[in-house]
Order: sequence, then structure tokens, then C-alpha cells
Amino acid sequence: MTKQTGRGFPLPVASLFLVAVMGLPVLWLAYSGLVATSSGSNGLAATMLPTALRETGLLMASVGIITGVTGLLAAWLVSHFEFPLRRVFDWALVLPLAVPTYLAAYSYVEFLGFTGPIQTFIRSINGATTLKEYWFPDIKSQWGGALVLSSVLYPYVYVACRSFFLMQSTSLTIAARTLGAGSLRTFFTVTLPLSRPPLVVGMTLAMMEVVNDLGAVQYFGINAITAIIYSTWINRSDFGGAAQLAVTVVLVIGLLIIAEQRARRDRVYLANRDNRVPPARAQLRGAGKWVAFGFCLVLFAFGFGIPAGELFYLAFRLVLPETVSMTLTALVPTVMLATSGAVLTVIIGLFAAKQGRRGSVSGGAIRLATLGYAIPGTVLALGLLQPLGQADLWFNRMTMALWDWRPGLILSGSIAALLYVYSIRFLAVSHSTLDAAMKKRGDGMLDAGRVLGAGRLELLFKIDLPTLSPAILSAATLVFVEIVKELPATLLLRPLGIDTLATMVYSRANVGLFAQAALPALFIVLAGLIPVVLATRLGDRRKV
Amino acid sequence: MNKTTRLALALLSTVALTGIAAPAFAQSGEVNIYSYREQSLLQPLLDKFSAETGIKPNVLFAGDGLLERVAAEGELSPADVVLTVDIGNLVGAEEQGLTQKITTPVLDERVPQAFRATDDNWTALSLRSRVFYVSKDRVDATALTYDDLATPEWKGRICTRSGNHAYNIGLIAHYIAEHGIDAARVWLGKVRDNLAMAPSGNDRIQVKNILEGTCDLAITNTYYMGAMLHNEAEPEQKDWANSARIIYPDAETDGTQVNVAGGFIAKYAPNVENANTLIAFLLSDEAQAIYADTNYEFPVVPSAPINELVASWGTLKPSQVSLVDVASHRAEAAALVDELKFDEGPQN
Repeated sequence: MTKQTGRGFPLPVASLFLVAVMGLPVLWLAYSGLVATSSGSNGLAATMLPTALRETGLLMASVGIITGVTGLLAAWLVSHFEFPLRRVFDWALVLPLAVPTYLAAYSYVEFLGFTGPIQTFIRSINGATTLKEYWFPDIKSQWGGALVLSSVLYPYVYVACRSFFLMQSTSLTIAARTLGAGSLRTFFTVTLPLSRPPLVVGMTLAMMEVVNDLGAVQYFGINAITAIIYSTWINRSDFGGAAQLAVTVVLVIGLLIIAEQRARRDRVYLANRDNRVPPARAQLRGAGKWVAFGFCLVLFAFGFGIPAGELFYLAFRLVLPETVSMTLTALVPTVMLATSGAVLTVIIGLFAAKQGRRGSVSGGAIRLATLGYAIPGTVLALGLLQPLGQADLWFNRMTMALWDWRPGLILSGSIAALLYVYSIRFLAVSHSTLDAAMKKRGDGMLDAGRVLGAGRLELLFKIDLPTLSPAILSAATLVFVEIVKELPATLLLRPLGIDTLATMVYSRANVGLFAQAALPALFIVLAGLIPVVLATRLGDRRKV
Repeated sequence: MNKTTRLALALLSTVALTGIAAPAFAQSGEVNIYSYREQSLLQPLLDKFSAETGIKPNVLFAGDGLLERVAAEGELSPADVVLTVDIGNLVGAEEQGLTQKITTPVLDERVPQAFRATDDNWTALSLRSRVFYVSKDRVDATALTYDDLATPEWKGRICTRSGNHAYNIGLIAHYIAEHGIDAARVWLGKVRDNLAMAPSGNDRIQVKNILEGTCDLAITNTYYMGAMLHNEAEPEQKDWANSARIIYPDAETDGTQVNVAGGFIAKYAPNVENANTLIAFLLSDEAQAIYADTNYEFPVVPSAPINELVASWGTLKPSQVSLVDVASHRAEAAALVDELKFDEGPQN
């Protein structure tokens, strides 16, 4: 048991336990990697490693910058101003999140490719027959990858900043405006510095998604670090070497995150003392109103319009009855898994965010526990296969010895394994959202509650959950959508006979049958819409 | 917390806690299949199989990592039959001790020794080959060799997917098995410098590149030609395929590289008898015809007929290099791809 304030307690048992449970696959990978060194494996000896680090690093940096700028701007616009269709953009700008990166990659290659509408139109004008006769940028490149990935990843920043602005008292902004600062100056001197925590959270999530992505980067021909991990594992049959690489990547990312947090450590964010100042949105006039409108429209069109339109076109150009029936069979398991996974991950995220505030050992431990997001899904699943299989084996041996009964596989290849891997993968998503919200809120109200004699549960239900509800819903939404999209771990760990929408898409797209993959892919997007709409609607209704 | 929020959270929790019951697997009249091969090819085969035998197939379709899953599940694994592509997976499974002897007599009767394990621990079920798709408009050659790819004539005209993909690793390993590692290093370096661009996209995209005019020769698997020509859902792929014709490399010399799709019976298979029945069925004439006609592969059974369209591309003369030998050079092939930075594209 930790003390109420938690400071000065020597060993944060709860945090360490969480790290052990969440870190199991990484620990297993690290162990495999270390064991492999003795047999001469060296995954880090790859000639292509510097190239891969450079290309992955460039891609991460560019995606980080693009998503950071666009996501923050969009969140700032919809929460501080009134302009045409603002209410629609408010939730619509989250939608690109429902488009998996690999589908976005495919859609853009089709749309901007030689046989796509744009180039076909160009050829109809200039009469060319091959690409050698005219110039057109090749989307299958480093810059193309950065743009396409950013177009569907900016919602991480948008959602984090938006819920931050919603919870933020507008008193500071109002004060700045009263003192005569214009919108832009207020943005740069007040809003931007205050937004650093959610901005960094969003950018970090987007960049981790880049590291984890395999499908899109391969399609674009970018030499990413994941490709080397795969080649080491599959082609050289060197799992140990692959594990060494994967763990190194995780360590590097972990250090980056910790460095950023150290840089921010000494700043004190004003606790929100005045929660009752409703956000007053300034009415934009003249050109400004259309600039804001145009910006949001472009963002939406690139992140959602083009990929969803391409999928829609492919899905309904030829509807096969078997495609419809297989899509419908996958729908229920997908929604079930995503819902249970989201609830579980948010609960663990709340617990982790609470624990993480109990001192530096705890904080460090929790940060470690959230690194699962940076590991390629397949590698994470591989790190889980053996420990789970071993646990099943021990359990079966025990039941055999005691009651002569063999229950078979309980953990491996079961729903439990999937929920486990989802909570590891997406703890970072829920934890970071909730943690930023807690930092913003401060502990004043909780302290007041304690002084007034409220018990732990009462505090949780009367103060914690209500004050955090926008963040809780944001977190649950993000995780739900993530799970619906999640492919590699689901593919490898799911039970015999269960298919999700994402695995359906993969099984078709894998052999180049994108037209058959389009309908389940559209449903992934649709499934992602439900919680998005729900969360944004609920998040807006605050007591005034 | 207001009412709506509370209601929403309550709803979420209810749905979440309902959970999903994992299906239980009866031990009679079923066969559990772990498959690398995707459903649309497998489904017609399995429909016929269960209609004929009354055995119910349960399928887990996944990609890389299936062998690791079987290994991790150990003696509790429900897997009976594992279906996979690439010789590396079959040989690897046997080396990891995941296989058992296939006992159906059909194996000896119908599969040539070159296409199954010496101890019958795995078998090929169909064959495919990595060949050249050349532009109908810009290439006149009717016969080419793998070595031609390294000649100056093809500078800036070749397309292929990532060198790290299993299909290309198989091709490079085949070259190593045939000519040795040093010759392979020189050859692959020249092929890299003849690429039109850094490798990207999948096999079909390479053929699309021919239509676009960005390259004149694509290194791609045989069956994609059939798959694209018959792709009603995406008719534009017919145009891609129609821009190219197939040349079997080395057809007039050592023979063309061949890879396999195959399967094995898992060591701890709970339904061994049904597993053998399934393997026997997959080697039957009608199953081999499905491999040939729905997926445009070559049957592994010599007496089974080849699809007409496939036959129209010419005659496959398979290379005599042993598949097991090829599989043993895969790690070297991957090391070469890495060492030569093949995926960065041409260096001069």
C-alpha cells in the first residue's frame, strides 16, 4: 500500500508490477537478444542499418513536424474561433484516424499514380503515352511517405490539443486579449507555450506510429528500420538478431521521450482554478474566416476525403456477395474486441497516470510501461507468443498432475492474448491523453476532497472521473479506433476461426486484390466513426 | 459526470464485459489449418474437401510468424496442417522440429522426389516461378537469362520489389546455389545498378511500371499474369498485364528458378488421420486443377493438367538445383541484399 500522497514511499510496488506485466514481451525480446549474442548473432551489424536509421529518422521528424503544425493549428482554430462549418470540422477532423496507414498509402498511389484520375487527365491534355514524356512527382518516395502518413496521423495532435483546449480555462486567453494582444500574438505567446504537453504527446504518438508501420513504408520503398528487423528475422532466420534491433529501437525512442520530459520538468503549468469560464469563440471575419475554413477543408480532404473516396469507388464498382458476407461476419468480433480493449486500456491508463505522479521512480517505471507502442506489432506479438505458450504448458501440466485434466490453450491464441497485446500496444495512447489532462487539472480538487473526508472511491467517482471525462472519452475513442485498425498483432495472436475487419483487408490486399479489400476497409473507417462522433458530442456537453 | 456520459460509459462497459467465447474444437471430424495462403484460393479447395470427406476445416490465416506460433503452442497446439509458401518456411519448419512424417501413400505415388522432403516431413503442393515480364512494345528479345539482367543493355530498365522479400531472396539464393556466392555478389551488384529506380511496391506494381513506361522488364512471379488478366474487380490491372509478356529465364540453358507452395503436418497434430486425408486431397487431380485454374500456378503432380492460359506463356523447364540446397543459401542471399544496399537502388 502506498501512502495517500505517495511521496517518499521507497518502492512503488504497483508501478513496478504494471511495468512487469506491460513489459513482458519487451523483456522477453531483450532476453532473447542477449542470449543470441553468445551464439554470435549481431542484428546491429547490418550494412543497411545507418541508411534505415537515417530514412526512419527523417520520416519521423517530417511526420512529427507536419502533424504538429497542422494538428495544433486545426485544434486552435476550432476551439477558439467561429467560422463556416466549424461545428462539422470539430468532429470531422478526427476521422482520418480511422484510415489505416497502409490503406492511405495504397489509395494515394492509385489516386496520384499513372492510371489515376490526375495523371490520366494530364495525358488527355498533353497526348503523352508514357511517364517518360512528362514530369509528375513520384508519391512512392520519402517525401510522399511523409505527406501521406501525416495526412492520416495529424488527428493524434488534433485530438490531444483539442481536449486540452476544451479543459483549459479561457481566462488566460481573455487576459491576453484584454491587454491588447491580437489573435496571432495570443496564439504565439499564450496558447502555444501552454499547449506544449498535448502537442508533444500527439507528435510522439504519430512518430511512434511511423516506427511501427511496415505496410505503408514498404509500399513506398522507404528503407525503414522495420524492414531490417523483418529481414533479419525471416530471411536470416535470426530471431535473436531481430530482437536486438527491436529492443534497441525501443530504447532509443524511450530516451527521446525521457529527454523531452526532462526538458519540460521544471515548468509549472498553471492549475486550472477557474473552470467556469466558458470558451468564448471569436467570430472570424472577412478573409480570415475563409482561410480557416479552407485550411480545415484541405486537411479533411487529404486525410479522409481522398482515401475514403478511393475505397468507396473500389468497393462499390463491383459488389461481390461473398465480400459482403465476409465483411459482416467480421464486424461483430471487431467491435467487441475494440470495445473491450478500449475499456481495459483506459482503466490501465488511468491507473498508470495516477501511479506515475507518485514520484520519480514511479514516473520512470510508468514511462517504461508505455513503450509498447514503439514496437512493430508483429515483433511485440512474437515477444508474447513464447511466454504465453510456456504459461499454458505449465498450467496444463499442473492440472494433469492434480486432476488428470488438460484444458488446452487458455492464454495463447485466445481473446485474452489479444486484449493483453492491445493494452500493451495502446497504453501509451490512453496514458498520455489522461496524463496530460491530469497535469492540466492539477490536484487541488482532490486535496480539497480529501480534506473534506472523502474516501478513495468517492474521490474517484465524484471528482476524478467527472473532471477527466473529456480526456477519458478522447482516450477511449483513440484506442477503439486503433484496435479496429490494428493488424500485425491481431493477425498472429487471434484464435482459430475468428477474423477481424483488418485481417480480412490484409488477406485480400496481401495478394493484390484491393478491390475485395475495399469493403471491409470501408467498414474499418465506419467503425471508427461511431466512437469519434460519440466522444466529440459528449465531450462538448459540460456543465456551465 | 452528467447522465449521457454515465450512460455511455455504462453501455461501453456492458459491451466490453460480455466478452467473446472462444470456439471449442472438437476432436472428431475436424482438421485445423494454419495457413500463410489467403482465403480466396483456399476456400474452393476446402469446400470441395469437406463435401467429399465430411471433415470440417477450421482455418487460421496469418502471415509471417505462424511457425513461431506453432512452436510456442508446443504440445498443446491445435494445428494439424500448416500451409505455407516459399521453400524456406518448409525446410525451416522441419529444422525446428515442428513437423511429422506424412504417411498417406498418395505422396510417394504423385509427388516427384525433388518436391518433397527426403523423409516426407513436408511436401510441395504447387509450383511457381520467378520470371521476366517484358514490355510488348519496347523489348524484342524472346529468350533471356538471369545473367542478362547484369548486362549494360538493361541499364535503367529493370523493376523489382524489395530485395528483402521472400520471393527475391528465393531467386538470389537460387543463383548462389548455382554459381556460388562470389559470382552472385558481382551479378546482384550489376542488377542493382541496372534498376530503373529503388525497389518499391508489390509484384503487380512492377508490371504497372511497364505500362507507365518507367521500366521495360519486371522480375515477378508467374501466376500474377493470370490473376491480373482475370481481375474483374479491378479491370485496370488487365491493362497492366496486357502491356507485358512473359519470358522464362534460362529456359534454353540451366532451366528456370522454381519456388513452391506447400504444407506439412504439425508434430503435435490432434487429428493426424484427417491431416493426412487433407494432404492426400490437396494432391488429387481436382485439387491440383484448382491450384492451376484459380491461382495460375503449376501443379506439383506431373500428370495434372496445366491451365491453358499458363501453357500459352511457354513451357517451364524447371532448374535442376535442389530446393533444399536453395533454402540453405537464404541467409547468404539476405546478407548480400544488405551488403550491396540493393534496396537503395542504382549506385551509378
